[in-house]
Amino acid sequence: MAGREPLRPFVLAARFFRIGALNELQYRANFAIQVFQSAIALGTGLAVLALVFSQTTALNGWSEPELLVVMGVHILMGGLIGMVIQPNMVRLMEDIRRGSLDFVLTKPDDAQVLVSVRDIQVWQAVDGLTGAIVIVFAVAQLGGAVGLGQALLFGLAFVLGGLTIYCFWLILTVGAFWVVRIDQIVELFEGVYQSGRWPVTIYPGWLQVSLTFLVPIAFAVTVPAQALTGRLTLGTLALAAGFAIGLMAFTRWWWRFGLRRYSGASA
Amino acid sequence: MISPQTSATSSEPAIRVAGLRKTFNVPVREPGLRAAVRSLVHRETREVRAVDDIGFEIGAGEVVGFLGPNGAGKTTTLKMLSGLLYPTSGQAFVLGHVPSKREAAFLRRITMVMGNRNQLQWDLPALDSYELIRAIYRLEPAAFRTTRDDFIELLDLADLVHKPVRNLSLGERMKVEIVGALLHRPQILFLDEPTIGLDVTMQKRIRSFIAEYNQRYGATVLLTSHYMADVQALCRRVVVIHHGKILYDGELAQLGARFNATKTIGVTLVDGEADLSAYGEVISVEDGRVTLRVSRAAAPEVAARLLRDLAVADLTIEDPPIEDVIERVFASGSEAP
Amino acid sequence: MANGLASRPELDRDRFVPRAGLVRGWVDLYLTMFRVAILNNIQYRVANYFYMIGMIAEPVIYLVVWSTIARQEGGEVGGLTPGQLAAYYIVWTLVRQMNIVFTVYGWDERIREGELSAMLLQPLFPIHRDIAFLAGWKLVTIVMWLPIAAVLTLIFSPALDVRPIDVAVFAVAIWGAYLVRTMLYWILGMASFWTTRGGPIFQLMFTAELLLSGRLVPLSLLPDWAQRLADVLPFKWTFGYPIDALIGQLPTGELVGGLAMQLLWIVVGVIGVRVVWRVAIRRYSAVNG
Repeated sequence: MAGREPLRPFVLAARFFRIGALNELQYRANFAIQVFQSAIALGTGLAVLALVFSQTTALNGWSEPELLVVMGVHILMGGLIGMVIQPNMVRLMEDIRRGSLDFVLTKPDDAQVLVSVRDIQVWQAVDGLTGAIVIVFAVAQLGGAVGLGQALLFGLAFVLGGLTIYCFWLILTVGAFWVVRIDQIVELFEGVYQSGRWPVTIYPGWLQVSLTFLVPIAFAVTVPAQALTGRLTLGTLALAAGFAIGLMAFTRWWWRFGLRRYSGASA
Repeated sequence: MISPQTSATSSEPAIRVAGLRKTFNVPVREPGLRAAVRSLVHRETREVRAVDDIGFEIGAGEVVGFLGPNGAGKTTTLKMLSGLLYPTSGQAFVLGHVPSKREAAFLRRITMVMGNRNQLQWDLPALDSYELIRAIYRLEPAAFRTTRDDFIELLDLADLVHKPVRNLSLGERMKVEIVGALLHRPQILFLDEPTIGLDVTMQKRIRSFIAEYNQRYGATVLLTSHYMADVQALCRRVVVIHHGKILYDGELAQLGARFNATKTIGVTLVDGEADLSAYGEVISVEDGRVTLRVSRAAAPEVAARLLRDLAVADLTIEDPPIEDVIERVFASGSEAP
Repeated sequence: MANGLASRPELDRDRFVPRAGLVRGWVDLYLTMFRVAILNNIQYRVANYFYMIGMIAEPVIYLVVWSTIARQEGGEVGGLTPGQLAAYYIVWTLVRQMNIVFTVYGWDERIREGELSAMLLQPLFPIHRDIAFLAGWKLVTIVMWLPIAAVLTLIFSPALDVRPIDVAVFAVAIWGAYLVRTMLYWILGMASFWTTRGGPIFQLMFTAELLLSGRLVPLSLLPDWAQRLADVLPFKWTFGYPIDALIGQLPTGELVGGLAMQLLWIVVGVIGVRVVWRVAIRRYSAVNG
């Protein structure tokens, strides 16, 4: 079904976003709070960068505006995760645990698509916007013009990164619910995700590998940032694309496998 | 000679309440954005009188039922008496203490059980929580063990207290919870719906435990319950409260006489059913038995007429069920200004 | 039946430990609470361990960034070598565990679930519950931390030069840090008595703490004005100071002075908790109960 209508997930997501927005508009205070929190987070990030560059001029070859790009991508991707991926996965895990997933399975849409877009945290868009502004500001500081080609490359790398992170979350959600509690996974992920504030190339080898293939922070943040700072090689992009596609295929299979187990358990 | 360390003398009632009042300010929300913004600056509130000038005295060792529909002010009153809520005005004395001061000496001598209260460690056996309660109340170890084992035996909890509380059923949990609430052997028990949600056997069990505790230690009990069976089994005296005011304070047995000027007469005729509507309001006709409702005053006369006019095989005169009486009390209360 | 109270005055005397046993009563209370906390912790040891390991991500990130800079800048940043930074962030992981106190977000639930009422009905100032429980919890945590520290030591080869007095002061300071932070967060958390939207206030505090406690970076890397600011705030005494006490080669005066500062903040905290608690409970008793 997803194959026949490739845009279906986005159409559904847009629809859920609209519903979420209409609901949330009643609670404008939440918007103010989100703006405040995003501002604090941004301020903290900038303070850290300032600290680093009070001691040095470049971190592992990355200049200050370049690291600002990384930070912008990190915030933008964080906004996407917080807006769509994380809330849906948290809800999915609760549904699996309570056995209330049946409501979703009986809907005529593709279940995987549905569980992935039905809960959208509208105000998290503020984070996304903050990230975008930081990126634009940083790119302007870089001086050298970012061409259309680079922008397109960035867009592609960002979408691939987003899909990779989504697959990572879904695999974890389907597979790990009987081991640990969801709030612990969330907390754990948020901790590890902070590593993406910096290019993963600064980490020691074993950690770099883990942050690339185990928890794909590299693909989610570093690679798109590389695209904007003229560092992205064709090889890296091919690897990102290959990894994303492979992971999506595996996730599809894993989701079906988990679903069979779920139906078996609840029958 | 050392004088006993009790604040209440024998002439002083265990609980004395006079002119007690509690009003809450509830925010009033008008619809619309403008009103919402305005409410940020100036909040309009409405005063709700949860408890409105009540007064009563309860003697040491008495078990009193506190009756009233939801929102009547029962829980608010119990909370004021246990020191959780400050009264808006009026006086409350419990064992000579002012509850809202929440002095340790006061708290050690009372307990409050609420339906969903959980003072036990969820993941540990109740026995471990009991030890903690012993430490918090600074109970003398030997006396504590005696009390604990007594209670465990009375409620037949020997197996349950070794299991983690999370593995217990609702009723089992309530039993271990009540034991926990009484380990310090309080002199006053405030029980707010202690049997809510439990099955009948479990209700009986808890009821008889409370009765036993009252007998054994001469404790004063103030109890609210949705189950009239609780009240009937435990309380000779009831206080009926509605819209924050006391409608009735007296013996449970007299409640019917006061508020329900009716009796029910059951008649079985020798030659089958007949239309008895001339004698009173027919409530039911079943298997040849007719049930009539008549005014309390007229009951003897109607019964005599029935016996005289008809061939009666069997005749009974009864008070209506207490639930009906209570319903009537509340109905009359809501009509009152 | 109505003779209960009058005829049983002896009830009071055989139930309660006499006043002479006041100290024993407190010791007994804390020990009993330790036991409950340890039993609780052991029940969830796997999940807790998982959690502790997850918390390592944060200092490892800081460590990598700052040791990268140190190597770039000729082996030192702000006077710290990569080895010293490694030592700092490894001790950090234990101090972070000691820093775990009752969450400011927990008050809202305590109020809603009636847990607070249950606490108010007991003859015990509720902070003792929290202090004793989490202290008992940490007794297990410290033991569980040792293997983690060993693994981190193997990976990051810290430069350790520790004197016995450092260990002694550290052993006291981590508990001082725990007490200071407990009271700080108690006072902050009580904002929940006034608003259910305490989030922004809490977050401001977290951020100030992150930057000025020594959690994000050793305080010596901060600009002068920030260091001076940190000196007058309590955060530093809950994080940076205990770490420096162990590995910072502090002169004895500074070691003892730090303990004195912790004591000062504990006193301030006790007063603050008492005052705010009284106002908060008055409010609670007026509306919630």
